[in-house]
Amino acid sequence: MNTETRTKRGGVGEKSTLVAHGLRKSYGEFEAVKGLDFEVFPGECFGFLGPNGAGKTTTMRMIYGAAIPTSGTLSVVGLDVRGNERAIKRRIGVVPQENNLDDDLKVRENLLVYGRYFDMPKKAALRRADELLDFVQLTEKSNADVSELSGGMKRRLLIARALINDPDLVVLDEPTTGLDPQARHLVWDKMRDLVREGKTLILTTHYMEEAARLCNRLVIMEDGHIIAGGVPEEMVEEHVSPQVLEFRAAPEALEKLRPVLQEAADDVETGATGEALLAFTHDSDAVLDRVRRSGFTVENTVYRQSSLEDVFLRLTGRSLTD
Amino acid sequence: MGSIRIPSPRGAFRVWQRNATIFRKYWKSAMFPNFFEPLLYLAAMGLGLGAFIQQGGINGQTYVQYIAPGLLASNAMFAASFESTFNTFVKLRIDRIYDAITTTPVNPEDVVAGEYLWAGTRAALYGTGFLAMLTVLGFAFTPENPLISSWWALLIPPMLLVIGVMFSVMGTLFTSLIKRIDLYAYYFTLVVTPLFLFSGIFFPVEEFPAPVPQIAWFTPLYHAVNACRGLANGPDLAVAGDVLWILVFTGALSLVPVQIMRRRLVS
Ligand SMILES: Nc1ncnc2c1ncn2[C@@H]1O[C@H](COP(=O)(O)OP(=O)(O)OP(=O)(O)O)[C@@H](O)[C@H]1O
Ligand SMILES: [Mg+2]
Repeated sequence: MNTETRTKRGGVGEKSTLVAHGLRKSYGEFEAVKGLDFEVFPGECFGFLGPNGAGKTTTMRMIYGAAIPTSGTLSVVGLDVRGNERAIKRRIGVVPQENNLDDDLKVRENLLVYGRYFDMPKKAALRRADELLDFVQLTEKSNADVSELSGGMKRRLLIARALINDPDLVVLDEPTTGLDPQARHLVWDKMRDLVREGKTLILTTHYMEEAARLCNRLVIMEDGHIIAGGVPEEMVEEHVSPQVLEFRAAPEALEKLRPVLQEAADDVETGATGEALLAFTHDSDAVLDRVRRSGFTVENTVYRQSSLEDVFLRLTGRSLTD
Repeated sequence: MGSIRIPSPRGAFRVWQRNATIFRKYWKSAMFPNFFEPLLYLAAMGLGLGAFIQQGGINGQTYVQYIAPGLLASNAMFAASFESTFNTFVKLRIDRIYDAITTTPVNPEDVVAGEYLWAGTRAALYGTGFLAMLTVLGFAFTPENPLISSWWALLIPPMLLVIGVMFSVMGTLFTSLIKRIDLYAYYFTLVVTPLFLFSGIFFPVEEFPAPVPQIAWFTPLYHAVNACRGLANGPDLAVAGDVLWILVFTGALSLVPVQIMRRRLVS
């Protein structure tokens, strides 16, 4: 399914929505983004997955003109970010990581006033605002104060606001952080609707599940670098064995278990908190068999399919969500 | 280092419009203190202190006649100063309104220009109300010594707009340089209050020995007071010199906060 959308929309000859080459950003001595290369095609949902401080927001800010690249090239909707600030901002929508709705304006007014920044005629803005409130299910809150909205509602209003100018590209910086599962699913549904409408989405997240569910392609960032990239399922196939066994026990017991696993499984990693050993394998039964024969009690063992989370752990030795 | 940024009038207008939209909701409650405060000064200084000032007043005017036009100028200074300090600080650093605006085709330089215009507008709005009140009060209570005595006073509202923009540029400059809101105490104590007291609103600074008049010439409110007084009392060619001073000072300084504020919004 993913492959199909990509070939249909991102086929040869179509202009990329986003291209970065050797993109870097320093703040004084500190380099937050250390040379990124990526390309996003029209109609894709493209993810930046990474832990706190990886440089995701800095990258997004360079895309929407709030940060200026120190070196490298970056083109957005076919325009170089240097010298095309206004033209680019006219064609993109931005959902920032931090809520910055206008508290002095009502919910609907937030959209109308935002529409004016894009020089939208009043009538068109009114129509669009009502459509968008309906789209994000906030119609009954139209005349409420922003301060009366829940966190999830504010996020949805931010998404609606980002769409007021009917952008070609929507940049979403952690669209679901801090939301409960139900609110998160609602936001995911809206994002899928947008991709279906043909919009290009880029999003940052540290939720592996979010990236895997929504993104056609993604990159994993760490410490200002892209450390891996591709189609989520393919990345899992490429970097880790398909099955994972998690063994939990006291540290001493785990240390005794480690050599056994190293022999039986494809790879062994220490879990995020150090209280577990993860064995990656193609044949979990065989691994379990070996462990039992070594005399280790396997009551506290979890079996699951490997995921992007494991890709990150394999590549960095750290967990994505700390 | 980027090149010097010149605001776009359209972007500036959008920012002005956003403030006007909000002001339309709150103007009654926002207007009242600004309206009332100069009246208090007028009563305390003009009528209270004025009663002890010897017959003949200043330059042939009663004391209350003398100070009334100057209070129009200082009122514009206060309105524009509050707007460009506390209000702008909140929008820049607390509510992050400017971050939201600058992700649209409206650029940081447009935001600053829009705020200048808005502060000027607010100064003119408040001042016009106060001017109307002074005119009516003057003719009602002392028709032989009206507070506003010339048709030239019709030029006071646009003059207050220009004065408002000038003080907005100064306030915005300070705002662009500070990180903590409590530092405004310095701005108001060291800049705004001394200007208010020593710019010729309450006594003629020209009649003091050198270098007092020379120092006054270099300060902005002095010229604003002269201009308002000149317009309130009829044609006075000297007003042209004060207006020119204000325009040159404002023009020369206006692009400095624009560049600094840009660095606060684009890293
Ligand atoms: N304006 C700035 N000045 C100095 N350093 C900065 C600035 N903005 C970001 N950084 C630094 O750059 C690094 C990357 O920050 P960034 O906000 O891009 O991370 P992130 O991946 O978005 O993290 P999170 O998941 O926490 O949002 C961090 O170490 C941060 O401290
Ligand atoms: Mg971030």
